Formats: sequence, C-alpha cells, structure tokens
Amino acid sequence: MKITGMQVFWLITLMSMGMTLVMTLTPSVTSAKQDIWMSVIVASCITLLITFFTTQTSLLHPDQNLVQLSRTILGKWLGSVVMLVYFIQWFTILPIVLRQFNDVIHIMILPQTPKWAIMLIMLSLITYSTYSGGIESIARCSEILGPIVIIMVLLTLLASVNNVDLHLLLPVYADSGLSAIFKGSLAPASYLGHSVEYLMLAPFLIKPRKGGKYAFAAVITASSLVLLAMTMAIATMGVPITPKMWYPFFEMSRKISLFGFIENLDPLPIVVWVASVFVKLAVYLFITSYGTAQYLNIKNWRIMIWFIAPIVLIFAFIPQNVTEAISNYLFNYWIPIALPVNMLGLPLLLLIVGKIRQVSGRSAQKG
Amino acid sequence: MNLRRIGLACTTLALYLGLLTGCWDRNEMDELAFVMASGLDLADDGELETSLQIALPTGIQASDQSGGKKAFMAVSEKGKDGMDTLSKEQQQLSRNINLGHRRVIVIGEALGRNGINQVMDTLLRSPESRYNSYIATAYGTTAKEVIKTPYLLEKIPAVGLNNIMEGNFSISVKTDEFLDGLATYGKNPVTPGIRITKDALGNPTFVLDKIAVYRQNKLVGFLSDEQQKAFMLYRGNTQVITWSLQLVPPKEEYKGTVNIHFLKVRTSVLTRMAEGKPAVDLRIKTTCRISANDTELDFSRPETLALLEQKYEDELRKAVAGVVSVSQQEFKSDIFGFGRKVHIDHPYVWKEIKEDWNEIYPSVPVDVKIEVKIERIGRTQAPGQLMKY
Repeated sequence: MKITGMQVFWLITLMSMGMTLVMTLTPSVTSAKQDIWMSVIVASCITLLITFFTTQTSLLHPDQNLVQLSRTILGKWLGSVVMLVYFIQWFTILPIVLRQFNDVIHIMILPQTPKWAIMLIMLSLITYSTYSGGIESIARCSEILGPIVIIMVLLTLLASVNNVDLHLLLPVYADSGLSAIFKGSLAPASYLGHSVEYLMLAPFLIKPRKGGKYAFAAVITASSLVLLAMTMAIATMGVPITPKMWYPFFEMSRKISLFGFIENLDPLPIVVWVASVFVKLAVYLFITSYGTAQYLNIKNWRIMIWFIAPIVLIFAFIPQNVTEAISNYLFNYWIPIALPVNMLGLPLLLLIVGKIRQVSGRSAQKG
Repeated sequence: MNLRRIGLACTTLALYLGLLTGCWDRNEMDELAFVMASGLDLADDGELETSLQIALPTGIQASDQSGGKKAFMAVSEKGKDGMDTLSKEQQQLSRNINLGHRRVIVIGEALGRNGINQVMDTLLRSPESRYNSYIATAYGTTAKEVIKTPYLLEKIPAVGLNNIMEGNFSISVKTDEFLDGLATYGKNPVTPGIRITKDALGNPTFVLDKIAVYRQNKLVGFLSDEQQKAFMLYRGNTQVITWSLQLVPPKEEYKGTVNIHFLKVRTSVLTRMAEGKPAVDLRIKTTCRISANDTELDFSRPETLALLEQKYEDELRKAVAGVVSVSQQEFKSDIFGFGRKVHIDHPYVWKEIKEDWNEIYPSVPVDVKIEVKIERIGRTQAPGQLMKY
C-alpha cells in the first residue's frame, strides 16, 4: 500500500473540512457570536500547531506509524499505554461520526427512513473500500471526491453571496471578548485537528520525508474554506437565528434564491457531507483496523475489519438523539480530552522525547 | 475464483440498488398536495386554526384548458398546535401535504394580537419548511378568509400574493427576516398587511396596502396611507410609491399639485450618545423624477426646481418624522431597527440597555433630515397643459 503526497492532501482536507463546516458552526456561534471568524482563525492556528507537532514527530522515524513510533520512542510499556489513549479516540469517533451522518440525513432530507438503512449503507461502503485496497483505495477515492467537494462548497458560497449582509458581522469584538472567542475556537479546532492522523498515514507515503508540506497545505485549505463558509453563514442568517439550528450550513443553502428560478439548492451540501463523512469514516476504519492488528501482533490486519465494523454499527445505535450524538460527545470527550491530549499533548510528548533520544543517541555514538 | 468474485460483486451492487431507492421517503409528484399558502388564526375558543391553500393538479399546469375550473382548494382545521391541525388536515386529503413550496404564510389579526411564539416553533422545526416564504398579516379579517379569497389575475391566489411581494409592490418580509426581528433586541418585526376588498366588478380580491407592526411577538397595529408610504420610503421600497404635493394654491386652471417618483433612495442611520442616552439621526437621500405637474411652473428653471426640492424635503421630513413618532408613541415598537444600529455603534452601552430597549425607544430623540434631488423632469419641459400665447 503506497500513497502519494497529493492523496494525503485530499485525505486530510476532506476529513477536516466537511465535518467542521456542518458540525461545529452552532457550538462556535453560541460562544463567539458574530466574531466567529476570529474563532476560526484561532482554531486554524491551533491546527497548524498540531500539524507542526505531528509532521516533526513523523520525521523522527519516517518509516514507522504511530503504533510503532510510540513504542520506539517511549519504550514498549509506555508506548502501549499511549496507544490505548488513541484507541479510545478511534473506537469512539467511528460510531459517533456514523451516527452524526445518519442524524443529518434524517433531519435534513430523509425523515422517514430507518436509522439502520442509512448507517448500513455507509458502513458497508466503507468496509468495502477499506477491505478492497486499504488506505490506497481510500486515498484514490478521496482524490476524486476532493475536487468535487471543494467545487460544491464554493458553489454554495457563490450562490449565497447575494444573501450576505456584512452588517450582521458588526459590532466586532465587543459582544464576545477574548475568552468567548477562544472558547468558540475549540470546537472547530478539535474537528480540524485531524491532521494528527497524519502519523498513521505518513509511513505509507512513497516519500515519507516530503509529506509534511502536503499536510500543511491540507490544513490551510480546509481552514480557509471553513473560515469563508462560516463567516458567510453568519452574515447570511445573523447571530440570533444561527445557534438555534442544528446545521446552519445547510440552512444557508436553503436560503439560496437566484434570478427567481435557482432555488432550494440543499443537495449541494448533502454531497459535501456524504463525501467527507465517507472519507473520514473509511480512514478511521482503516487506521483503527491496521493499528489494532499491529498492536495485537495480528499479521493480517483485514481480519480486524470484520470485528470492528459490527461493533461500530452497534455503538452507533446507543445515542438516543441528536443532542447526545453531537453535544455530549463534543463537549464531554472530544474538546476536553481528545483535543488537548490526543492532538496536542501526546504528539508533543513524542516529539520532545524523540528529539532528546535522538540527540543523546548521537552523542552516545560520538562518545 | 473469478466467477465467484463477479458473482459477489453483482450481489453487492444489487443490494445497494435495493437500499438506494429510498423507499421510506419516496415522494412522487402525483402523490403530493402542494401547499401554496397557509394561514394561522386564533379560533374563538382559544385554539389554533390553520388553513392551507393547496394547488390543484390542473392549477399547476399553466394551460388554460381547464376552463372555469378552480385551480386551488382550501382546507381548514382547529387544534392545539400547528402539527395537530396539520395532521387533521392530512386526514381530509388523498395526497401527502408538502410544505416545501409554500410561498406565503398569513397570520390572522386576532392571533397576531394574541402573540405568535407557539406558531413560530412549528415554522422552524419541520424539515420541509423553508425560510423563503413571505409572511403577511391579515388586516381586519382572519387568515382563513385570505386563504379562501380567489384572485382573478392569477390562478392560485398565493402566486398573486407572492408576486406582489416579490415585485416590491408592497414591503416584503421573508420568514427569516421576521424571525430575526423577533429574536433581536434592537429591532421589531413588521409584515405587510393584507385586507380583503372587492374590485370594481364586485369580485372579491385582496390588497396589501397596510404594514403590520409587531412589538416583540405581539401585533400592535397597522400603518396605512401616508405612514405606510413613509415607512416604505425608509426601507427604500419605492417601486410603487409616488408622492404628490400641493406646491402652489389651486387656481381655476390648475390644481397646483406636483407628483414625483423615487428613483434612488439611500438611507443612513447614525447614532450618538447624548448625555448618556442614545440619539438617532436619520438621513434619507433620494433622487426623484417629476411624474406629474399640474401647476403653471416651469421646472426647467433652476430656481423653480430648487423651490420644489425645498418643499419636498419639508414634506417628506414631516411624513417620516410622523411615522417615527407613531412607532414611538403609539406602538412603542422599534420597527426601524435603530436599536440594532446603537448596538453596532455603541456596543458597550448597548449591553447595559438592550433588555430595556423597548421601554427606552419611545423617548429616544430621532432627528430626521431628507435630501431631495430632482434628476429628471420627464419628457416635457414646461407643464403639459398648453400655454396660450
């Protein structure tokens, strides 16, 4: 399994952008109000920091993925403990994303269709793509879907330009303040922070040492599109109404009305949504299966898919409603634990310890 | 092995096809009842009464073959809330109610005066409803009557209503703007007011020549005539309004009136703090065209034109100041959105006063200044009536 730098770019862009647009607008607006654009900029900075940590860490041992890397750097026992932390993230994000996918489809377009039908289709799709070619087939899919998704986002934004009222972004700063802006940046940062998965993708690169710039490009692309889209959503709908909706980005597309006959363009963001959820779930399914297999010393990682996929489906039924799937997970696990520990803390720890060992290793060699 | 793989692939594909049809949310055109307009009323016993105007299948096609047939039907039910009445209405229909194409939502006067919170929730929650529908308020009648009234110019009355508002023949307020007005401290919502009347042949029809004023979620009154025109001028909604003025005292040959059309209107609201209290300067700059002249004056002369501009500035200032003072004294409702401007200009003061804005608003000094520039004077130079030599 080998992937190119461009494919990594599309993988990370898709994983970060679609979900951030749809899921994090509401929590972010609730806190930062019309200054959401500042929040997104702060979030982008946090994400760039994460990307810096991860790309630097991967440069220490470019041919190793996160599972091997943490064992090499932190030693067998500590490394295994660190990996457990990541497994919690991977095993919980899969069912949650699957459930969120289902909820959006339910709320926005197919209210009658049973949950299992929507989730089963998506699950079999990601299982198939993961099983058939691993990361390689997923990466190739994302190379095709990526440009389509970006075109769809841009089309939605372009068609909404005439609805934008920049006065809705005023007054600047006075209504939110520093802490509110920072608080509002956490949700987008935690969703944009998927560049941490670069640590699992890097060893598959044809040229692992040169992957860093693609990861950075992906983060910058995703962040700037999110910045543009979120600012426009607020400038279209206004602060009082936006936080009352689950998915403001979709509502923005519903407001599109051009020349009296182009209306009801909500299929556009649905394409964005389905494509990015597909890539995200497939990537997570792959790294979870691959990582678990490596962790447990199982030779054929594909076997793990058959265990993980059913578990994911069962777990996805657990949340009772949208609130549990979106808010509880986001505010109780993803922001307070996954963001500081899995995305910032552990990569930083690996980087520091790895660097120290590298330096001391060199000096030991010299001595 | 190869055959097995092909077989497996085909089975999987067939399975996907079966799942992808979306049997549960199937919507066929000939199984839907398209609601074009809906009305919300307060029934006598305090329950909610909703009415739906549904396009008949023949009415959707533009062809005239149906002859004298009606193009729409109306159903109406009473119930505890919007969804309750909707399900009762569904029971009368052979097709599924579809709200996706609803053009207009009419609020009955009685319901408006009673408060509309409960209804708004229904509007927001349903996945089908969109924010593109226009909102209007019935004047002196119920929404049900409006929904039932046929409109001769269009097959489906809702299309007529929609076109009137879309063409800016009245003010137009879409659901999202209305909800925004309800949800913002510095602004109160308005909607056009519909009244039912008869045309010259005696056929029932409707006119949108009122503006309904809300205070928070309650209807408090209507603007009409001069006030309505002044408010439309403020909103820059001047497609249909003209303003006539008694320029000189009437004479035997001339009535002495002049009429203008507004070509361009630019409104700016400035706020300042005077002794710790907000004050508003409202400036409207307009460019106009003389559309009628029933005087003996010749407006190709600069000094006459200047006189006319001067007169209009006074007249329009009085009218706009009049509607501002009505909104302050009579309705106590900031329909101009001055509070929103205070919010932008003085955000820190606003934090202190925003919750009391409705109480503060009536005492806010508003200074109105109008600038009139007459750009075109029509095709004729001198008055149309021929002067005797």
